[in-house]
Amino acid sequence: MSAQPTSTGAARPDAGLSAPAKRRALIVVAVIAALATLPLWAGAYSVATMRDVLLFGLFALSLDFLWGRTGILSFGHAAFFGLGAYGMAIVTIKSGLDPASVSFLGLLAGVGLAMLVAAIVGYFLIFSGVRGTYLTIVTLALTVIAQHIAIGWSDVTGGDSGLIGVPPLTLDLFGWRYVLFDPAHFFWFVLALSALVLLSLWRALSGRYGHVLTAIEDNELRARTLGHHTDRHLLSVFVLSAGIAGLAGAVYVTGTGFVAPDMIGLMLSTEVIMWVAVGGRGTLVGPFVGAFVVWWLQQKISSIDTKLWPLFIGLFFIAMVFLFPNGVMSLGERGRQIWAGVRRRA
Amino acid sequence: MAVTGVMRGVRSHMEQGVTLILNSLTLISILTLVALGLAIIFGLMNVINLAHGEFVTIGAYTLAFTQAMGGNYWLALALAPLIGAAFGYLIEKGMIRHLYDKPVSIILAIWGLGMVLQQGLQIVFGAAPQRVTSPFAGAVEIFGASYPAYRLMLIGFSIAIILACYALLRYTRFGLDIRAVIQNRAMASALGIDTALVNARAFALGAALAAVAGVLIAPLTVVIAQMGINYLARSFFVVIVGGIGGVGGVVAGSTLVGGLEGIMNYHLPVTVSQALVLVVAIVMVRLRPRGLVPA
Repeated sequence: MSAQPTSTGAARPDAGLSAPAKRRALIVVAVIAALATLPLWAGAYSVATMRDVLLFGLFALSLDFLWGRTGILSFGHAAFFGLGAYGMAIVTIKSGLDPASVSFLGLLAGVGLAMLVAAIVGYFLIFSGVRGTYLTIVTLALTVIAQHIAIGWSDVTGGDSGLIGVPPLTLDLFGWRYVLFDPAHFFWFVLALSALVLLSLWRALSGRYGHVLTAIEDNELRARTLGHHTDRHLLSVFVLSAGIAGLAGAVYVTGTGFVAPDMIGLMLSTEVIMWVAVGGRGTLVGPFVGAFVVWWLQQKISSIDTKLWPLFIGLFFIAMVFLFPNGVMSLGERGRQIWAGVRRRA
Repeated sequence: MAVTGVMRGVRSHMEQGVTLILNSLTLISILTLVALGLAIIFGLMNVINLAHGEFVTIGAYTLAFTQAMGGNYWLALALAPLIGAAFGYLIEKGMIRHLYDKPVSIILAIWGLGMVLQQGLQIVFGAAPQRVTSPFAGAVEIFGASYPAYRLMLIGFSIAIILACYALLRYTRFGLDIRAVIQNRAMASALGIDTALVNARAFALGAALAAVAGVLIAPLTVVIAQMGINYLARSFFVVIVGGIGGVGGVVAGSTLVGGLEGIMNYHLPVTVSQALVLVVAIVMVRLRPRGLVPA
């Protein structure tokens, strides 16, 4: 996004969306509008659940932005979600400030912490030329250690049991204050936030910036030879992605009211990869679909036996690699192709 | 009186020093055993084996199962590398072989496999920590400090295995093949080395080493299905810090990571020292991208 010597300039205006992209945008807007009516007819419990699923979708979106657009798979993205969550919880519970007005500070602390850690880790690794699987494993170590710290540093983090009593999010704009206590209002806020992040990312990535990132993923050396600061681009995506994950985490704990070590740990890091993979990597909308589908599946499977869920995730990863390497959504595409072939023959 | 007090002070300092060094050596030995396999597999196949921690777990469970069946520790120590090697060989043949050109797919598939193994062990053996006992109790007086005999055995045994690995890689045909494939796979293949077989055997070797480490560490730790991840993360640091230049790099990396953690554990909470080790590893990547002992 930084100033690059451009030869093509703004030759490709963003407004020129292709017909399928326009149709997809229309569908997304329609789904958002349909979701907005949810609090009008569904119970408070379903509204709260859907709010959490949306936040998981936002979290998955942050990973998709990184993994889908740069090819860097973060195996520790829950570290950033958890930093956001713990940042929010610690500031609102432990700082001793007025709990009503402190939540904006907590939001800043959570998102800031996630971005800061991503910036430091990313600077050292990305600027050293660390890429691919190596980078993946460092992020894996990051989440393992973050969870250790969350469990071990109990004076601050509450240890194994976490911290209880995160106040609801309070919007405080120029003297106008509103506490998001009503589940319906909170849901609308989360929906608006998710839509805002989704549409901004979509717009940014469908333009020149998206092309630069695609070029880097395809062939980083070539992109660099063309004058793009690939290190800086990758770092900025990494930090921004961590910030979105932190945002999702910080808002999430104001809904649940508590924070616990499993919000920063390896299991959540694994699950978010699954959400993105199920929804379709690089699609931006897919992660929300994936988060919903997987959440639904998890309810079904865990209700039989909670031990089965990790087993299912493991088997899913193996099956995905061998059976549908392009994501579960690609199965639908393939099905459509086969169906079209059948119809043509008929 | 004053003199004896000072003497006692010096003596206790020395005891603490000896204990500290031996504790660090215990950790370094285990890390070296685990990371050696990780480094060989990474060097050969450019695959980061995310299920490597599960081989440690398999080793520890071999001990638990053997002892539960009435067998003794030494039987488990002999069985574990065979079981580990069998798992490693099968995983390479059945899964990894088909994914060599897709690094992200390998990561996802191995990770999935690791979860299946973990959860499988937990379903079969239950979630509670497994009971294991060390083959002998008691302590040995060493430089004025009294130190558990089992840990001394662990250190000595590990050093013997590490030396054997060095000899294997340096002086045998198999070791020569491994080193040739690490240097240049295409050339090695052209010279008639069956590189696919080398891969599978090296995977089995790495798994066997990790399983032995699992038996050795089991009496000193909590044996649960998720125990592997701690060793995976640390031995990955070892490989980053030390480089993939064979036994020397791994020993150097383990000494730095294990020594650092051993010394810091003495003064700081475990969590802080682990976080600091991560910081050191990340800084090391910036300073020496190819490790302490480059290949």
